[in-house]
Amino acid sequence: MPMDAVTTAGLSKTYHQLGRGAVHSVRDLDLVVGGNEIYGFLGRNGAGKTTTIKMLCGLVQPTAGEARLFGKPARDPAARAALGYLPEQPYFYEYLTPRETVRFYGRLRGMDDGAIAALWDRAADLLDLGGVADRRIRGFSKGMRQRVGFAVALVGDPPLLVLDEPMSGLDPLGRRMVRELIVRLRKEEGKTIFFSSHVLGDVEEICDRVGILVDGRLVFSGGMDDLPGRDMKRTELRVAGLSRADAADLAARAAGHAAGDGGDTFTAADGDAANALAAEALRRGGRLLEFRRAQESLEDVFTRMQHAETTGGARP
Amino acid sequence: MIVAGNTLRESVRDKVLYVLLLFAATSILGSKALGWISVGQDIKIVRDFCLASMSVFGALISIFIGASLLYKEMDKKTLYTILSQPLRRHEFVLGKYAGLMALIAVTLAAMAVSSGAYLLVLGSAPDVSFLQAVLLTFMKLALVTALAVLLSAATSPILGALIVFSAYVFGHATGVLRDLPPHFDGTFAKGLLEAAYYVIPNLSNFSIQSEAANGVAVAWAYVGWAVLYGALYTAALLAVACLAFERKDL
Repeated sequence: MPMDAVTTAGLSKTYHQLGRGAVHSVRDLDLVVGGNEIYGFLGRNGAGKTTTIKMLCGLVQPTAGEARLFGKPARDPAARAALGYLPEQPYFYEYLTPRETVRFYGRLRGMDDGAIAALWDRAADLLDLGGVADRRIRGFSKGMRQRVGFAVALVGDPPLLVLDEPMSGLDPLGRRMVRELIVRLRKEEGKTIFFSSHVLGDVEEICDRVGILVDGRLVFSGGMDDLPGRDMKRTELRVAGLSRADAADLAARAAGHAAGDGGDTFTAADGDAANALAAEALRRGGRLLEFRRAQESLEDVFTRMQHAETTGGARP
Repeated sequence: MIVAGNTLRESVRDKVLYVLLLFAATSILGSKALGWISVGQDIKIVRDFCLASMSVFGALISIFIGASLLYKEMDKKTLYTILSQPLRRHEFVLGKYAGLMALIAVTLAAMAVSSGAYLLVLGSAPDVSFLQAVLLTFMKLALVTALAVLLSAATSPILGALIVFSAYVFGHATGVLRDLPPHFDGTFAKGLLEAAYYVIPNLSNFSIQSEAANGVAVAWAYVGWAVLYGALYTAALLAVACLAFERKDL
Protein backbone atom coordinates (compact mmCIF):
# COMPACT_ATOMS: atom_id res chain seq x y z
CA MET A 1 0.00 0.00 0.00
CA PRO A 2 1.71 3.23 -1.09
CA MET A 3 2.06 6.01 1.46
CA ASP A 4 -0.46 8.86 1.26
CA ALA A 5 1.05 11.55 -0.94
CA VAL A 6 -0.88 14.50 0.49
CA THR A 7 -2.58 14.86 3.84
CA THR A 8 -4.02 18.01 5.31
CA ALA A 9 -5.59 18.41 8.73
CA GLY A 10 -7.65 21.46 9.62
CA LEU A 11 -5.79 23.43 6.96
CA SER A 12 -7.03 27.01 6.93
CA LYS A 13 -5.99 30.32 5.47
CA THR A 14 -7.48 33.67 6.37
CA TYR A 15 -6.39 36.89 4.74
CA HIS A 16 -6.94 40.20 6.48
CA GLN A 17 -7.64 42.88 3.93
CA LEU A 18 -8.07 46.55 4.56
CA GLY A 19 -11.75 47.45 4.19
CA ARG A 20 -12.89 43.85 3.70
CA GLY A 21 -11.96 42.44 7.07
CA ALA A 22 -11.10 38.75 7.31
CA VAL A 23 -11.44 36.71 4.14
CA HIS A 24 -11.51 32.97 4.77
CA SER A 25 -9.89 31.55 1.68
CA VAL A 26 -9.61 27.95 2.92
CA ARG A 27 -11.49 26.59 5.92
CA ASP A 28 -10.64 23.54 7.98
CA LEU A 29 -9.58 21.38 5.06
CA ASP A 30 -9.06 17.68 5.78
CA LEU A 31 -7.80 15.95 2.67
CA VAL A 32 -6.08 12.69 1.87
CA VAL A 33 -4.62 11.91 -1.55
CA GLY A 34 -3.28 8.40 -1.81
CA GLY A 35 -0.13 7.33 -3.61
CA ASN A 36 -0.31 6.65 -7.36
CA GLU A 37 -3.66 8.37 -7.64
CA ILE A 38 -5.02 11.01 -10.00
CA TYR A 39 -6.98 13.44 -7.87
CA GLY A 40 -9.03 16.26 -9.35
CA PHE A 41 -9.53 19.35 -7.23
CA LEU A 42 -12.63 21.25 -8.29
CA GLY A 43 -14.19 24.54 -7.39
CA ARG A 44 -15.26 27.84 -8.88
CA ASN A 45 -12.93 30.81 -9.19
CA GLY A 46 -12.10 32.04 -5.70
CA ALA A 47 -13.13 28.78 -4.03
CA GLY A 48 -9.65 28.40 -2.51
CA LYS A 49 -8.04 25.87 -4.87
CA THR A 50 -4.93 27.89 -5.68
CA THR A 51 -4.46 28.93 -2.04
CA THR A 52 -4.64 25.27 -1.01
CA ILE A 53 -2.12 24.34 -3.69
CA LYS A 54 0.20 27.16 -2.61
CA MET A 55 0.04 25.91 0.97
CA LEU A 56 0.99 22.42 -0.25
CA CYS A 57 3.95 23.94 -2.08
CA GLY A 58 5.15 26.03 0.88
CA LEU A 59 4.42 29.33 -0.86
CA VAL A 60 1.66 30.42 1.53
CA GLN A 61 1.68 29.90 5.29
CA PRO A 62 -1.47 28.34 6.75
CA THR A 63 -3.32 30.33 9.40
CA ALA A 64 -4.19 27.05 11.11
CA GLY A 65 -3.75 23.32 10.55
CA GLU A 66 -1.02 21.71 8.53
CA ALA A 67 -0.25 20.07 5.21
CA ARG A 68 2.05 17.08 4.78
CA LEU A 69 3.65 15.58 1.69
CA PHE A 70 4.50 11.91 2.14
CA GLY A 71 4.33 12.46 5.89
CA LYS A 72 6.67 15.45 6.03
CA PRO A 73 5.47 19.00 6.78
CA ALA A 74 5.05 20.91 3.50
CA ARG A 75 7.00 23.82 5.00
CA ASP A 76 10.06 21.59 5.26
CA PRO A 77 12.23 21.94 2.12
CA ALA A 78 12.98 18.20 2.33
CA ALA A 79 9.26 17.50 1.75
CA ARG A 80 9.37 19.55 -1.43
CA ALA A 81 12.03 17.26 -2.89
CA ALA A 82 9.11 14.90 -3.54
CA LEU A 83 7.05 17.60 -5.22
CA GLY A 84 6.85 18.89 -8.77
CA TYR A 85 4.68 21.99 -9.13
CA LEU A 86 3.12 23.56 -12.19
CA PRO A 87 1.53 26.97 -11.43
CA GLU A 88 -1.59 28.12 -13.24
CA GLN A 89 0.45 30.60 -15.29
CA PRO A 90 3.98 29.25 -15.29
CA TYR A 91 6.52 32.09 -15.38
CA PHE A 92 10.19 31.52 -16.02
CA TYR A 93 13.17 33.71 -16.67
CA GLU A 94 12.49 35.05 -20.14
CA TYR A 95 16.15 35.37 -21.00
CA LEU A 96 16.72 31.62 -20.57
CA THR A 97 16.01 28.90 -23.10
CA PRO A 98 13.99 25.79 -22.14
CA ARG A 99 17.20 23.76 -21.93
CA GLU A 100 18.82 26.39 -19.67
CA THR A 101 15.65 26.58 -17.58
CA VAL A 102 15.66 22.83 -16.93
CA ARG A 103 19.38 23.01 -16.13
CA PHE A 104 18.77 25.85 -13.65
CA TYR A 105 16.08 23.91 -11.78
CA GLY A 106 18.13 20.71 -11.95
CA ARG A 107 21.06 22.48 -10.32
CA LEU A 108 18.75 23.92 -7.65
CA ARG A 109 17.97 20.31 -6.80
CA GLY A 110 21.66 19.41 -6.70
CA MET A 111 21.65 17.33 -9.89
CA ASP A 112 24.91 16.85 -11.78
CA ASP A 113 25.37 17.70 -15.46
CA GLY A 114 24.91 14.09 -16.61
CA ALA A 115 21.62 13.71 -14.76
CA ILE A 116 20.41 17.06 -16.06
CA ALA A 117 21.26 16.12 -19.65
CA ALA A 118 19.37 12.82 -19.27
CA LEU A 119 16.43 14.67 -17.72
CA TRP A 120 16.36 17.16 -20.58
CA ASP A 121 16.39 14.39 -23.19
CA ARG A 122 13.47 12.69 -21.49
CA ALA A 123 11.47 15.91 -21.00
CA ALA A 124 12.15 17.07 -24.57
CA ASP A 125 10.93 13.73 -25.88
CA LEU A 126 7.88 13.56 -23.62
CA LEU A 127 6.84 17.18 -24.24
CA ASP A 128 8.13 17.65 -27.77
CA LEU A 129 10.45 20.49 -26.76
CA GLY A 130 13.43 19.50 -28.89
CA GLY A 131 12.66 22.05 -31.63
CA VAL A 132 12.72 25.00 -29.24
CA ALA A 133 15.46 23.77 -26.89
CA ASP A 134 17.73 26.75 -27.48
CA ARG A 135 15.21 29.51 -28.15
CA ARG A 136 14.66 32.07 -25.40
CA ILE A 137 11.34 31.69 -23.57
CA ARG A 138 10.48 35.33 -24.29
CA GLY A 139 7.87 35.15 -27.02
CA PHE A 140 6.68 31.61 -26.26
CA SER A 141 2.95 30.92 -26.53
CA LYS A 142 0.87 29.82 -23.54
CA GLY A 143 0.97 26.23 -24.75
CA MET A 144 4.76 26.24 -25.10
CA ARG A 145 5.20 27.79 -21.66
CA GLN A 146 2.95 25.09 -20.26
CA ARG A 147 5.23 22.45 -21.78
CA VAL A 148 8.29 24.09 -20.25
CA GLY A 149 6.36 24.22 -16.98
CA PHE A 150 5.72 20.49 -17.18
CA ALA A 151 9.40 19.87 -17.89
CA VAL A 152 10.31 21.89 -14.78
CA ALA A 153 7.73 19.99 -12.70
CA LEU A 154 9.44 16.76 -13.73
CA VAL A 155 12.89 17.93 -12.61
CA GLY A 156 14.21 15.60 -9.92
CA ASP A 157 11.68 12.90 -10.84
CA PRO A 158 9.33 13.78 -7.95
CA PRO A 159 6.72 11.16 -7.05
CA LEU A 160 4.04 13.85 -6.58
CA LEU A 161 2.95 16.37 -9.20
CA VAL A 162 0.75 19.28 -8.13
CA LEU A 163 -0.72 21.02 -11.16
CA ASP A 164 -2.78 24.19 -10.91
CA GLU A 165 -5.23 24.39 -13.83
CA PRO A 166 -2.89 22.56 -16.22
CA MET A 167 -5.43 22.69 -19.05
CA SER A 168 -6.56 26.30 -18.79
CA GLY A 169 -5.92 28.41 -21.85
CA LEU A 170 -4.86 25.47 -23.98
CA ASP A 171 -6.36 24.53 -27.32
CA PRO A 172 -8.05 21.11 -27.69
CA LEU A 173 -4.80 19.48 -28.85
CA GLY A 174 -2.91 20.97 -25.93
CA ARG A 175 -5.55 19.75 -23.48
CA ARG A 176 -5.39 16.31 -24.95
CA MET A 177 -1.60 16.31 -24.63
CA VAL A 178 -1.88 17.23 -20.95
CA ARG A 179 -4.55 14.58 -20.32
CA GLU A 180 -2.49 11.87 -21.95
CA LEU A 181 0.63 12.98 -20.14
CA ILE A 182 -1.08 12.83 -16.75
CA VAL A 183 -2.38 9.33 -17.40
CA ARG A 184 0.99 8.19 -18.75
CA LEU A 185 2.97 9.59 -15.81
CA ARG A 186 0.71 7.78 -13.37
CA LYS A 187 0.69 4.53 -15.29
CA GLU A 188 4.31 4.29 -16.40
CA GLU A 189 6.08 6.11 -13.59
CA GLY A 190 3.76 5.52 -10.66
CA LYS A 191 3.35 9.22 -9.94
CA THR A 192 0.59 10.77 -7.89
CA ILE A 193 -1.07 13.66 -9.65
CA PHE A 194 -3.09 16.27 -7.81
CA PHE A 195 -4.55 18.87 -10.12
CA SER A 196 -7.16 21.57 -10.13
CA SER A 197 -9.29 22.19 -13.17
CA HIS A 198 -12.34 23.93 -14.54
CA VAL A 199 -12.61 21.48 -17.40
CA LEU A 200 -14.94 18.99 -15.78
CA GLY A 201 -15.08 16.67 -18.77
CA ASP A 202 -11.31 16.16 -18.54
CA VAL A 203 -11.49 15.58 -14.81
CA GLU A 204 -14.24 13.02 -15.25
CA GLU A 205 -12.23 11.21 -17.88
CA ILE A 206 -8.95 10.77 -16.05
CA CYS A 207 -9.45 11.15 -12.29
CA ASP A 208 -9.70 8.34 -9.77
CA ARG A 209 -11.09 10.66 -7.15
CA VAL A 210 -12.22 14.25 -6.91
CA GLY A 211 -12.54 16.88 -4.22
CA ILE A 212 -15.06 19.69 -4.51
CA LEU A 213 -14.32 22.97 -2.79
CA VAL A 214 -17.06 25.53 -2.20
CA ASP A 215 -16.17 28.84 -0.51
CA GLY A 216 -13.03 27.34 0.97
CA ARG A 217 -14.73 24.25 2.41
CA LEU A 218 -14.34 20.74 1.06
CA VAL A 219 -17.90 19.55 0.47
CA PHE A 220 -16.97 16.27 -1.17
CA SER A 221 -13.93 14.04 -1.55
CA GLY A 222 -14.18 10.58 -3.03
CA GLY A 223 -14.43 8.41 -6.12
CA MET A 224 -16.50 9.31 -9.14
CA ASP A 225 -19.07 6.67 -8.29
CA ASP A 226 -19.38 8.01 -4.76
CA LEU A 227 -20.56 11.41 -5.94
CA PRO A 228 -23.95 12.02 -4.32
CA GLY A 229 -26.80 11.32 -6.72
CA ARG A 230 -24.46 9.86 -9.32
CA ASP A 231 -25.99 6.40 -8.83
CA MET A 232 -29.37 7.74 -9.93
CA LYS A 233 -29.26 6.16 -13.32
CA ARG A 234 -32.15 6.88 -15.65
CA THR A 235 -33.21 5.88 -19.15
CA GLU A 236 -33.89 8.26 -21.99
CA LEU A 237 -35.83 7.49 -25.17
CA ARG A 238 -36.25 9.70 -28.20
CA VAL A 239 -39.34 9.22 -30.31
CA ALA A 240 -40.42 10.81 -33.60
CA GLY A 241 -43.79 10.88 -35.35
CA LEU A 242 -46.03 11.42 -32.32
CA SER A 243 -48.95 13.79 -32.45
CA ARG A 244 -48.87 16.68 -29.96
CA ALA A 245 -51.69 15.08 -27.96
CA ASP A 246 -49.96 11.68 -27.82
CA ALA A 247 -46.68 13.31 -26.81
CA ALA A 248 -48.45 15.18 -24.00
CA ASP A 249 -50.14 11.99 -22.87
CA LEU A 250 -46.81 10.09 -22.74
CA ALA A 251 -45.11 13.05 -21.04
CA ALA A 252 -47.64 12.75 -18.22
CA ARG A 253 -46.48 9.17 -17.60
CA ALA A 254 -42.72 9.94 -17.89
CA ALA A 255 -40.30 11.38 -15.30
CA GLY A 256 -39.26 14.06 -17.76
CA HIS A 257 -40.01 15.32 -21.24
CA ALA A 258 -38.38 17.63 -23.75
CA ALA A 259 -39.63 18.40 -27.24
CA GLY A 260 -37.13 19.22 -29.97
CA ASP A 261 -36.62 19.23 -33.73
CA GLY A 262 -35.36 15.66 -33.57
CA GLY A 263 -38.47 14.37 -31.80
CA ASP A 264 -39.65 14.07 -28.20
CA THR A 265 -37.23 12.94 -25.53
CA PHE A 266 -38.79 11.16 -22.54
CA THR A 267 -36.96 10.28 -19.36
CA ALA A 268 -37.94 7.22 -17.34
CA ALA A 269 -36.92 6.58 -13.77
CA ASP A 270 -36.06 2.91 -14.41
CA GLY A 271 -35.87 0.29 -17.14
CA ASP A 272 -39.41 -1.09 -16.68
CA ALA A 273 -40.99 2.32 -16.96
CA ALA A 274 -38.88 2.98 -20.07
CA ASN A 275 -40.03 -0.27 -21.70
CA ALA A 276 -43.67 0.60 -21.01
CA LEU A 277 -43.19 4.11 -22.45
CA ALA A 278 -41.50 2.69 -25.58
CA ALA A 279 -44.30 0.15 -26.15
CA GLU A 280 -46.96 2.83 -25.78
CA ALA A 281 -45.13 5.18 -28.16
CA LEU A 282 -44.86 2.47 -30.81
CA ARG A 283 -48.54 1.53 -30.36
CA ARG A 284 -49.46 5.18 -31.08
CA GLY A 285 -47.47 5.16 -34.33
CA GLY A 286 -44.27 6.71 -33.07
CA ARG A 287 -40.80 5.73 -34.33
CA LEU A 288 -38.17 4.93 -31.65
CA LEU A 289 -34.96 6.80 -32.57
CA GLU A 290 -32.89 6.30 -29.44
CA PHE A 291 -33.05 4.31 -26.23
CA ARG A 292 -30.17 4.79 -23.76
CA ARG A 293 -29.13 4.57 -20.15
CA ALA A 294 -27.95 7.98 -18.92
CA GLN A 295 -25.87 8.93 -15.89
CA GLU A 296 -25.58 12.35 -14.29
CA SER A 297 -22.36 13.98 -15.49
CA LEU A 298 -19.73 15.38 -13.14
CA GLU A 299 -20.78 18.81 -14.35
CA ASP A 300 -24.38 18.13 -13.32
CA VAL A 301 -23.29 16.93 -9.88
CA PHE A 302 -20.84 19.82 -9.46
CA THR A 303 -23.47 22.37 -10.41
CA ARG A 304 -26.02 20.81 -8.09
CA MET A 305 -23.62 20.66 -5.15
CA GLN A 306 -22.43 24.19 -5.77
CA HIS A 307 -26.01 25.42 -5.87
CA ALA A 308 -26.97 23.51 -2.72
CA GLU A 309 -24.01 24.96 -0.80
CA THR A 310 -24.40 28.55 -1.89
CA THR A 311 -28.17 28.61 -1.36
CA GLY A 312 -27.87 26.82 1.98
CA GLY A 313 -29.67 23.73 0.71
CA ALA A 314 -29.24 20.25 2.06
CA ARG A 315 -25.69 19.04 2.02
CA PRO A 316 -24.90 15.61 0.66
CA MET B 1 25.59 29.76 -5.79
CA ILE B 2 23.17 28.70 -8.51
CA VAL B 3 20.76 31.54 -7.74
CA ALA B 4 23.72 33.95 -7.60
CA GLY B 5 25.06 32.74 -10.94
CA ASN B 6 21.68 33.11 -12.54
CA THR B 7 21.23 36.63 -11.13
CA LEU B 8 24.58 37.60 -12.64
CA ARG B 9 23.58 36.10 -15.97
CA GLU B 10 20.24 37.95 -15.89
CA SER B 11 22.01 41.26 -15.29
CA VAL B 12 24.59 40.59 -17.99
CA ARG B 13 21.76 39.93 -20.47
CA ASP B 14 19.99 43.09 -19.32
CA LYS B 15 20.65 46.04 -21.65
CA VAL B 16 20.34 48.56 -18.80
CA LEU B 17 23.73 47.47 -17.51
CA TYR B 18 25.43 48.32 -20.79
CA VAL B 19 23.84 51.74 -20.84
CA LEU B 20 25.17 52.40 -17.33
CA LEU B 21 28.63 51.15 -18.27
CA LEU B 22 28.64 53.36 -21.35
CA PHE B 23 27.81 56.37 -19.21
CA ALA B 24 30.57 55.41 -16.77
CA ALA B 25 33.13 55.07 -19.56
CA THR B 26 32.05 58.41 -21.07
CA SER B 27 32.31 60.21 -17.76
CA ILE B 28 35.78 58.74 -17.03
CA LEU B 29 37.05 59.82 -20.43
CA GLY B 30 35.27 63.16 -20.07
CA SER B 31 37.13 63.84 -16.83
CA LYS B 32 40.10 64.97 -18.92
CA ALA B 33 38.01 67.89 -20.08
CA LEU B 34 37.70 69.06 -16.47
CA GLY B 35 41.45 68.65 -16.12
CA TRP B 36 42.01 71.14 -18.96
CA ILE B 37 40.21 73.87 -17.09
CA SER B 38 42.10 73.13 -13.87
CA VAL B 39 45.63 74.15 -14.71
CA GLY B 40 48.27 71.85 -13.17
CA GLN B 41 45.61 69.75 -11.42
CA ASP B 42 44.55 67.54 -14.30
CA ILE B 43 45.82 64.20 -12.88
CA LYS B 44 44.24 64.91 -9.50
CA ILE B 45 40.95 65.83 -11.16
CA VAL B 46 41.01 62.70 -13.32
CA ARG B 47 41.72 60.45 -10.29
CA ASP B 48 38.99 62.16 -8.31
CA PHE B 49 36.52 61.90 -11.16
CA CYS B 50 37.30 58.24 -11.87
CA LEU B 51 36.70 57.29 -8.22
CA ALA B 52 33.54 59.38 -8.06
CA SER B 53 32.25 57.68 -11.23
CA MET B 54 32.84 54.23 -9.71
CA SER B 55 30.95 55.24 -6.59
CA VAL B 56 28.02 56.86 -8.39
CA PHE B 57 27.56 54.30 -11.18
CA GLY B 58 28.04 51.44 -8.73
CA ALA B 59 25.36 53.01 -6.55
CA LEU B 60 23.03 53.39 -9.54
CA ILE B 61 23.37 49.67 -10.34
CA SER B 62 22.87 48.84 -6.68
CA ILE B 63 19.78 51.05 -6.34
CA PHE B 64 18.05 50.32 -9.64
CA ILE B 65 18.70 46.60 -9.84
CA GLY B 66 18.78 45.94 -6.07
CA ALA B 67 15.52 47.72 -5.27
CA SER B 68 13.61 45.48 -7.66
CA LEU B 69 15.60 42.30 -7.08
CA LEU B 70 13.06 40.34 -5.01
CA TYR B 71 10.00 42.41 -5.95
CA LYS B 72 10.46 41.54 -9.61
CA GLU B 73 10.57 37.83 -8.79
CA MET B 74 7.34 38.16 -6.82
CA ASP B 75 5.67 40.37 -9.38
CA LYS B 76 6.61 38.18 -12.34
CA LYS B 77 5.78 35.05 -10.31
CA THR B 78 9.03 33.35 -11.21
CA LEU B 79 9.31 32.68 -7.48
CA TYR B 80 6.49 30.11 -7.53
CA THR B 81 8.51 27.45 -9.26
CA ILE B 82 11.76 28.37 -7.49
CA LEU B 83 10.53 28.39 -3.90
CA SER B 84 8.54 25.19 -4.42
CA GLN B 85 11.92 23.50 -4.91
CA PRO B 86 13.74 22.03 -1.89
CA LEU B 87 15.35 25.40 -1.24
CA ARG B 88 15.27 27.56 1.89
CA ARG B 89 14.05 31.08 1.42
CA HIS B 90 17.09 32.68 3.01
CA GLU B 91 19.27 30.75 0.55
CA PHE B 92 17.34 32.41 -2.24
CA VAL B 93 17.66 35.91 -0.76
CA LEU B 94 21.37 35.50 -0.12
CA GLY B 95 21.87 33.97 -3.57
CA LYS B 96 20.20 36.95 -5.25
CA TYR B 97 22.31 39.32 -3.16
CA ALA B 98 25.52 37.45 -3.95
CA GLY B 99 24.69 37.52 -7.67
CA LEU B 100 24.15 41.26 -7.65
CA MET B 101 27.33 41.81 -5.63
CA ALA B 102 29.25 39.69 -8.15
CA LEU B 103 27.92 41.96 -10.88
CA ILE B 104 28.93 45.08 -8.93
CA ALA B 105 32.38 43.58 -8.26
CA VAL B 106 32.90 42.85 -11.96
CA THR B 107 31.64 46.31 -12.95
CA LEU B 108 33.83 48.03 -10.34
CA ALA B 109 36.86 45.98 -11.39
CA ALA B 110 36.26 46.88 -15.04
CA MET B 111 35.96 50.57 -14.18
CA ALA B 112 39.06 50.42 -11.92
CA VAL B 113 41.16 48.70 -14.60
CA SER B 114 40.06 51.12 -17.31
CA SER B 115 40.62 54.11 -14.99
CA GLY B 116 44.08 52.76 -14.11
CA ALA B 117 44.93 52.31 -17.78
CA TYR B 118 43.72 55.83 -18.53
CA LEU B 119 45.86 57.22 -15.70
CA LEU B 120 48.87 55.36 -17.08
CA VAL B 121 48.27 56.93 -20.48
CA LEU B 122 48.18 60.34 -18.79
CA GLY B 123 51.51 59.64 -17.12
CA SER B 124 50.29 58.72 -13.64
CA ALA B 125 49.87 55.29 -12.06
CA PRO B 126 47.18 53.89 -9.74
CA ASP B 127 48.79 53.44 -6.32
CA VAL B 128 47.84 51.96 -2.94
CA SER B 129 45.59 54.89 -2.10
CA PHE B 130 43.66 54.30 -5.33
CA LEU B 131 43.17 50.61 -4.45
CA GLN B 132 42.09 51.50 -0.91
CA ALA B 133 39.49 53.87 -2.30
CA VAL B 134 38.16 51.19 -4.69
CA LEU B 135 37.99 48.62 -1.87
CA LEU B 136 36.02 50.93 0.39
CA THR B 137 33.74 51.91 -2.48
CA PHE B 138 32.97 48.22 -2.90
CA MET B 139 32.19 47.89 0.83
CA LYS B 140 29.91 50.92 0.64
CA LEU B 141 28.07 49.39 -2.31
CA ALA B 142 27.77 46.07 -0.46
CA LEU B 143 25.99 47.91 2.34
CA VAL B 144 23.77 49.98 0.03
CA THR B 145 22.84 46.85 -1.96
CA ALA B 146 21.88 45.01 1.24
CA LEU B 147 19.52 47.87 2.10
CA ALA B 148 18.10 47.78 -1.45
CA VAL B 149 17.51 44.02 -1.22
CA LEU B 150 15.79 44.40 2.15
CA LEU B 151 13.45 47.03 0.72
CA SER B 152 12.80 44.98 -2.41
CA ALA B 153 11.32 42.28 -0.15
CA ALA B 154 8.98 44.75 1.51
CA THR B 155 8.03 47.51 -0.90
CA SER B 156 7.71 48.56 -4.54
CA PRO B 157 10.85 49.24 -6.59
CA ILE B 158 10.12 52.96 -6.95
CA LEU B 159 9.59 53.54 -3.24
CA GLY B 160 12.51 51.25 -2.42
CA ALA B 161 14.81 53.09 -4.83
CA LEU B 162 13.76 56.45 -3.36
CA ILE B 163 14.47 55.27 0.19
CA VAL B 164 17.85 53.79 -0.77
CA PHE B 165 18.73 56.93 -2.69
CA SER B 166 17.81 59.07 0.34
CA ALA B 167 19.85 56.80 2.61
CA TYR B 168 22.75 57.10 0.16
CA VAL B 169 22.60 60.89 0.16
CA PHE B 170 22.04 61.27 3.93
CA GLY B 171 24.53 58.50 4.59
CA HIS B 172 27.26 60.75 3.23
CA ALA B 173 26.25 63.57 5.53
CA THR B 174 25.06 61.92 8.74
CA GLY B 175 27.04 64.46 10.80
CA VAL B 176 24.52 67.12 9.79
CA LEU B 177 21.76 65.14 11.49
CA ARG B 178 23.47 65.42 14.88
CA ASP B 179 25.11 68.79 14.66
CA LEU B 180 21.98 70.92 14.62
CA PRO B 181 21.99 74.55 15.81
CA PRO B 182 21.41 74.97 19.60
CA HIS B 183 17.85 76.27 19.24
CA PHE B 184 16.81 72.73 18.21
CA ASP B 185 17.81 71.37 21.64
CA GLY B 186 14.97 69.47 23.32
CA THR B 187 12.69 69.50 20.28
CA PHE B 188 11.07 66.44 18.71
CA ALA B 189 12.93 67.12 15.47
CA LYS B 190 16.23 66.95 17.29
CA GLY B 191 15.35 63.55 18.81
CA LEU B 192 14.13 62.24 15.46
CA LEU B 193 17.20 63.36 13.55
CA GLU B 194 19.50 62.04 16.25
CA ALA B 195 17.73 58.67 16.04
CA ALA B 196 18.20 58.80 12.26
CA TYR B 197 21.88 59.51 12.83
CA TYR B 198 22.29 56.22 14.67
CA VAL B 199 20.14 54.18 12.23
CA ILE B 200 21.39 55.50 8.88
CA PRO B 201 24.78 53.99 8.05
CA ASN B 202 27.57 56.54 7.95
CA LEU B 203 28.75 56.18 4.37
CA SER B 204 31.36 58.91 4.73
CA ASN B 205 33.40 56.28 6.62
CA PHE B 206 34.04 54.75 3.19
CA SER B 207 34.92 58.00 1.45
CA ILE B 208 38.67 58.35 1.14
CA GLN B 209 38.35 59.72 -2.34
CA SER B 210 40.01 63.08 -1.72
CA GLU B 211 43.00 61.36 -0.07
CA ALA B 212 43.28 58.97 -3.02
CA ALA B 213 43.00 61.85 -5.50
CA ASN B 214 46.07 63.37 -3.87
CA GLY B 215 47.81 59.99 -3.75
CA VAL B 216 47.83 59.87 0.06
CA ALA B 217 47.18 56.38 1.47
CA VAL B 218 45.21 56.08 4.71
CA ALA B 219 46.27 53.69 7.50
CA TRP B 220 45.33 50.06 6.81
CA ALA B 221 43.89 49.94 10.33
CA TYR B 222 41.33 52.53 9.24
CA VAL B 223 40.55 50.52 6.10
CA GLY B 224 40.12 47.38 8.23
CA TRP B 225 37.82 49.19 10.62
CA ALA B 226 35.70 50.57 7.75
CA VAL B 227 35.48 47.10 6.17
CA LEU B 228 34.34 45.63 9.51
CA TYR B 229 31.78 48.43 9.96
CA GLY B 230 30.42 47.79 6.46
CA ALA B 231 30.37 44.01 6.89
CA LEU B 232 28.46 44.19 10.19
CA TYR B 233 25.90 46.64 8.82
CA THR B 234 25.50 44.53 5.67
CA ALA B 235 25.04 41.33 7.68
CA ALA B 236 22.41 42.99 9.88
CA LEU B 237 20.48 44.31 6.86
CA LEU B 238 20.60 40.92 5.12
CA ALA B 239 19.42 39.16 8.29
CA VAL B 240 16.37 41.47 8.41
CA ALA B 241 15.78 40.90 4.67
CA CYS B 242 15.80 37.12 5.20
CA LEU B 243 13.42 37.40 8.15
CA ALA B 244 11.05 39.66 6.19
CA PHE B 245 11.00 37.18 3.32
CA GLU B 246 10.76 34.02 5.40
CA ARG B 247 7.04 34.04 6.10
CA LYS B 248 5.88 36.13 3.20
CA ASP B 249 2.83 34.77 1.37
CA LEU B 250 3.40 34.59 -2.36
